[in-house]
Amino acid sequence: MPGVPLADYLAVASALFAVGVIGFLLRRNPITMLMAIELMWNAGNLAFAAFARTFVDFSGQIFVFIVVTVAAAEAAIALAIVVMVFRRRRDVDVDEISELRG
Amino acid sequence: MEGFVATVPFTILFLPFFGMVLIALAGPYVPRLGAAIVGNLSVLGSFVLTAVLASYVWSLPPDQQVLTLKYPPAWATHPAYWAHIPPLTISFELRIDPLALMWMLIITGVGFLIHLYSIGYMQESKWYRTFFAYMNLFVFAMLMLVMAGNFLWLLVGWAGVGLASYLLIGFDADRMAAVLAARKALIMNVIGDVGIMVAIFLMYAHFGSLSYKVVFANVTSAGTSALDWIGIWLLVGAVAKSAQLPLHTWLPDAMEGPTPVSALIHAATMVTAGVYLIARAHPIYDHAPAAAMTVAVIGCASAFVAATIGMAQYDIKRVLAYSTMSQIGYMILAVGVGAYAAGTFHFVTHAFFKALLFMAAGIIIHNLGGEQDIRKMGGLAKRMPFAFLTFLIGTLAISGFFPFAGFFSKDAILDELQLLGHPWLWAFGSITALLTAYYMFRLVFMTFFTGAYRGDHEPHADRSPTMEVPVAILAVLATIGGWLVLPGHDEMSRLLQGAFGDRGILPTMGEINWFVTGVTTFSAAAGLVIAWWLYERAPQLRRRLATMFAPVQRVLANAYYIDTIYHWLFEVPTLTAASDIAKYVDPEGVGGVIAGVARTTTGLGDAMRGWETGYLRRYGLGMVVGMVLVLAYYIFVVHGGAAVGMR
Repeated sequence: MPGVPLADYLAVASALFAVGVIGFLLRRNPITMLMAIELMWNAGNLAFAAFARTFVDFSGQIFVFIVVTVAAAEAAIALAIVVMVFRRRRDVDVDEISELRG
Repeated sequence: MEGFVATVPFTILFLPFFGMVLIALAGPYVPRLGAAIVGNLSVLGSFVLTAVLASYVWSLPPDQQVLTLKYPPAWATHPAYWAHIPPLTISFELRIDPLALMWMLIITGVGFLIHLYSIGYMQESKWYRTFFAYMNLFVFAMLMLVMAGNFLWLLVGWAGVGLASYLLIGFDADRMAAVLAARKALIMNVIGDVGIMVAIFLMYAHFGSLSYKVVFANVTSAGTSALDWIGIWLLVGAVAKSAQLPLHTWLPDAMEGPTPVSALIHAATMVTAGVYLIARAHPIYDHAPAAAMTVAVIGCASAFVAATIGMAQYDIKRVLAYSTMSQIGYMILAVGVGAYAAGTFHFVTHAFFKALLFMAAGIIIHNLGGEQDIRKMGGLAKRMPFAFLTFLIGTLAISGFFPFAGFFSKDAILDELQLLGHPWLWAFGSITALLTAYYMFRLVFMTFFTGAYRGDHEPHADRSPTMEVPVAILAVLATIGGWLVLPGHDEMSRLLQGAFGDRGILPTMGEINWFVTGVTTFSAAAGLVIAWWLYERAPQLRRRLATMFAPVQRVLANAYYIDTIYHWLFEVPTLTAASDIAKYVDPEGVGGVIAGVARTTTGLGDAMRGWETGYLRRYGLGMVVGMVLVLAYYIFVVHGGAAVGMR
């Protein structure tokens, strides 16, 4: 099939994932970190979809659906946590939220 | 008749069991007497049904007198066995034959009389209802023992009576002595249970079945030495349960239990289970001469040794306990030499006169406010004429005076010993008869005569009909019970023919061997005269003899120090080992391991708590680093770097 080769897809997916990782590690705003996590999710999704297309196997596509569902649930919970934290502390800097220190 | 035979034995067996359950469940909600009535009626019901069943079975020809009842029945299409471990199949199996019936009649009959007696005797007990529940449990377990149709169910009953005995010896749980005695009895009895278990394993190995029917039919297929071993292991069980040498020390201590318990369990029925076992397994012993001889010698030695100890005891119940051991020695001796009918006969008469003696002694103890020491009695013949008369009948019976029950049965055993060619066993048996008469009349003289009453508190003589009626009935039975075997009229052998076949018909029973009878009667009379002379006529002579033979007296009073020997041989090493384990192995070994686990966990926790910084982004970094390391492992180690062109 003419079109984009698999390696290109994987390159884009890797780039997306790297951006997600860097965003997660460097940002201190939990909303931004969540967005970085979404990037990582979607890097994975892109790789899944690319493999599914290349090998003509629908398992990958289906996996993407599941990942999207889980990501939505995760986002909902995470945002709820962020809202609760904000209500209590009037501040959402993740470096300040470290009550679980051992 | 078919349906009658199929159901009645189960009813006989389970009536006391349901009595127990009923007392246990409903006991707290009914008056005390309610429990007593349930207990009495259930045993009485069993007795009546047993009598009906017995009259039916004995109306059949001798070769049809063995009834086997099996659950599941043979016609079941989908049988639910008790245990089915191919090739071994164990059913719930009952076997009703003359031997079992003889025991069932005594268990339920004498058992009922003792239940009746307990109504009055236990009146002051705190746990009145519990007592009847335990007694019913005992009757059930004992019936299970004698009605079982295979060795497994016999063992179930065997262990069941051990449990009931344990519960009832330790019935006065407030007293340390009672609790210790109960524990001792249980431990000794469990040794016997193990013996029977080993015998069962051997029987399975040799016959592939535990059913009496199969084992006894194929008994010759095993060699003599195999049968000897089975016989010896069965004997271990019999010795423990019947308080024979060397496992007898629990029986005197078991007198800590209430007197009705001593009468029912530790005199009339349970302790004769060993006699039953050997008579039941007679096809094995018939083909195992060495085992049978061991049985006879142990019985004879126990009879003699117990009689000698009985001469030097001062506790009225302990004397009776040693006399029980001695009389059971006679029975074991009889079944050991193959005189099964004579042994069974002595069991029947012994159940009458020994239950009588215990219950008469119980009346005395009851009226003396719990006093059991005969040194603190004396002169009671006038104060308690009823107890005196009945106790005297029991004593005449156990000593073997004509025409009381013991005369006929003891004579039968001694006759058989002479006839079957065991002069030494006969000699010891006759000496034991003399000793028996001596120590029993010593008991009578010290309790009822020898001058005035020596006790501390005035005896009260309250008379209760529920206590006196059973004693009176037993006194009659102890008098006439022996007349089952009269010259030319041997009812006992006729009744037992169906169980023992030719061995049941012993030629001398019902005939008079004047020599043996003469020696027996002379021994009994001599024992009586010696006791009378020493205690009534010439007490100074007795005192002189006592100082002369003080060491002997001491040895006998301490029962040959067998308890002390066992204490140093078994108890002390075990307790020392246990306390050493408690002192060293437990804290250092087991405790050390556990403390070590705890220390390791704490240490690891301390070491790792530093990683928990609480900074979310550091955790993220950790994950990334981990991910990179895993990826690197796969790329460079597992795949050798092929993916990045390193190969």
